[in-house]
Amino acid sequence: MDRKTYREAFDQIPFSADFQERTANLLRQRARELEKENKIVNFSKTKKLAVTAAAAVALLIVSVSAALVWLTPAQVAERFGNTLLSEAFEGPDAIEINETVETGDFAVTLMGLVSGADLDKYSSDVDSARTYAVLSLRRLDGEPLETQTFELTRYTMTPLAAGCSPAAVNNWTLGAGASGFAENGIYYYLLDTESIEMFADRTVYMAFYEGFVPNNTIFTVNDDGTIAFCDDYTGPHALFELPLDPAKADPAAVEAFLEENDMGWTNERTPMEDYVTTEEETPDGSLITIRPADSPETKVVFTPVSQEVE
Amino acid sequence: MVSFGTDEIISRIVEQYGSMLLHLAASRLDSPADAEDAVQEVFLKLLTARPMFRDAGHEKAWLIRATLHRSSDIRRSAEHRNLPLEEAGEPAAQEDTLDLLSAVRALPDKYSAVIHLYYYEGYSIKEIAKTLGLPAATVGTRLARGRERLRQMLKEDM
Repeated sequence: MDRKTYREAFDQIPFSADFQERTANLLRQRARELEKENKIVNFSKTKKLAVTAAAAVALLIVSVSAALVWLTPAQVAERFGNTLLSEAFEGPDAIEINETVETGDFAVTLMGLVSGADLDKYSSDVDSARTYAVLSLRRLDGEPLETQTFELTRYTMTPLAAGCSPAAVNNWTLGAGASGFAENGIYYYLLDTESIEMFADRTVYMAFYEGFVPNNTIFTVNDDGTIAFCDDYTGPHALFELPLDPAKADPAAVEAFLEENDMGWTNERTPMEDYVTTEEETPDGSLITIRPADSPETKVVFTPVSQEVE
Repeated sequence: MVSFGTDEIISRIVEQYGSMLLHLAASRLDSPADAEDAVQEVFLKLLTARPMFRDAGHEKAWLIRATLHRSSDIRRSAEHRNLPLEEAGEPAAQEDTLDLLSAVRALPDKYSAVIHLYYYEGYSIKEIAKTLGLPAATVGTRLARGRERLRQMLKEDM
């Protein structure tokens, strides 16, 4: 396969001819709606300033109200219209955690998790167990978080397992998905991932951080296999240890999982600029060579016979 | 901070990235309509989230990552609902083309993203590594493994 063959295959996909026009119109309409919503927000802020004196008196009442409106994991699942999962979060298998870490501008609370098969309306006919976790975020300065403005994709909430590389056990290898919404100024994450109970005989973490795929600029793996954030990682971050039942561990499943996903790990950082990459088209396909700039030794040669990173 | 709500910016974003993101989404999603939905949702997210980008490369990387995320979510939801495959195919495509498209979509996410960016977008390994936030060596390995899997699925000498 070469690039030309690949491109031709994808260029045959029959997308709508008016996609760009429809999309631009949709975005313009949404932009106008957002402009109106922003005006409402500004008005509310002005109004809040006008009642500052009254607010001081009412502070205690407001605090009590805030506590009352904090959603439970079951309510979060219910907001997504997922009654089965909501019931599971109130069932005997649910694990309540409610541990909070203050980091950067946020208070990050891991509220709870539950694992099992048939727990949501989408997977009720799928015979595979999944883990669902709810995490909440609030700003420490009291500014409310909002669904429309919070950047869900800017942050990652992912399971990790001690003794396994963060590159091997994470959202991407576990087929996870995250959804979120804000209510009463608090942002709620619902993470849905392949069940992590198979790792239960080791320390299993739930990590929250600003960033994308776990790498060695974010995490470091200690000699004993435990995982920590790098000392120089500066973004908001939290690492929770999950109280899973070791009896539910499945070492054989873990071994199979790692065989598929473990690509090794090193805490040693090699800046991308320190690699020299060359690409050359050959009759058998592309020849790609990656080697450290300070070493003449070839580290990876890709195609015609694939080889792994040393 | 750039405002993504102006007509000018909306036109630029859709024109500049629309086709690229559609094809990227189609590397994960069987249905062209689903791919179009995924890309529209990503653009809407861009509009509402108003992320701050360092430069054009950062903007592009954000869109690519968001499209991969959203496409995977849609795919997973569809798999959970067990949608019949015939509802998702592309009737206008050629059979041999379908083989390649199906094979790419059958790859795990981590391989297909790298394969698509390399073969369709013509990105170098360094560019893919920067875009996806991965070490270059990992990208090289994923490219090799993804390609090997494609070779096995297509049973052809690639």
